[in-house]
Amino acid sequence: MPGYYDMDDILMEDEPISVVFQVGAHGCGLLDPGSETIDIEKGTKMDLPYWLAHQLHLRQAVSISVPASFSQKTRKEIQADAACVDLKGRCPYFYELGCKVAPLVGDKTIGSFLLYAFTDRYKEMLSKSHSASAVPRFSSRLTKEESQLFQAARSSMAAFKKWRTGGSRLEKASILGRKRKRTIPLGPSSP
Amino acid sequence: MYGKRASQLLKDQACCENGQFTPFNSDLFDQVISECNEHSLQLQSLIRKIEEQNLDMQTTRNEDHFGAVIHHLSLVRNKRCLMAYMYNRAEIIQGLRWKVGPVLPQEMQEKLNYSEEEYFKNHSAAIEAYMSELDLDLTVDMVPPKDPYIRVRVLDDIGEVCLDDHSISLAKHSLHFLRRTDAEPFISQGLMEEFLE
Repeated sequence: MPGYYDMDDILMEDEPISVVFQVGAHGCGLLDPGSETIDIEKGTKMDLPYWLAHQLHLRQAVSISVPASFSQKTRKEIQADAACVDLKGRCPYFYELGCKVAPLVGDKTIGSFLLYAFTDRYKEMLSKSHSASAVPRFSSRLTKEESQLFQAARSSMAAFKKWRTGGSRLEKASILGRKRKRTIPLGPSSP
Repeated sequence: MYGKRASQLLKDQACCENGQFTPFNSDLFDQVISECNEHSLQLQSLIRKIEEQNLDMQTTRNEDHFGAVIHHLSLVRNKRCLMAYMYNRAEIIQGLRWKVGPVLPQEMQEKLNYSEEEYFKNHSAAIEAYMSELDLDLTVDMVPPKDPYIRVRVLDDIGEVCLDDHSISLAKHSLHFLRRTDAEPFISQGLMEEFLE
């Protein structure tokens, strides 16, 4: 269960979900930029962020449909070659959103679909994170969670290599950035 | 769209998450707060409307009720975003004392807002009080040492520094053989580097 202050959880809840209002609501016209009145009519279709859609769904005020990220089209693409699909473009919090949406829309196939997509992409990601030296092109297709895994694999590999060669163990605090670069390559000066 | 500004605030912070720090976005922060005030006013007026119609607050499920619910949820959402923004920054600021030291460089100082500066000072003072009680500098030896002395190269003109019982001139590009605990703060501030043959 993610914490109250978890940034990723908060940003994930911002993903849009298309809903249909089952009731009317007064004084909330700002939600829908196209609407002319400040009231929402029954039967209005709109995209709401997950945090609002979820809570309204619990109160039976809206009905939720399966987001486009989990449509049949995406599923076919994942089945063809999971590693090549740009999931970040579809939804940077693909897995997290999927887990949250699945019980709401009552679609039992989403769970196994997510698992299939993750395991298939994981293999590719792990092997590339160990071999490639530069950041490979495919990393722009990874979801937030995948790219965290990717970075973790890369940095542990780099730490392992450093340990084996015995590099410097004391370093400048990373938060200060790498701004201060040496301009001229220095020969070793005498102590 | 409700809650958009608040999540923008967090997105700015999250996109440079790899150990970097963004300036405090007081502009957007204040905008979110005024959005909250707006929600609060709307919420109150909708509740008043329900009360005027002599309906029971607990069981009424009309349009006004759902309007109020939406405003309430938006308020709670905005609050969570603001709290998370402050909390995550406070965590980074706490880490600064351990990684950078009691004095922040100018460019870092500018990124904090007033209350965060106070927070850093107070947190710093608390750690220092604890360390003087223990009579031990806890911020050094973060990596287990192999040798009490190390060779370092000075990367910037630091000038005359008093270490232990003697003073030493740390000129740029010079090499020194220092006690590890003395060198460590300079290395973490980026003024020295460990010199390896």
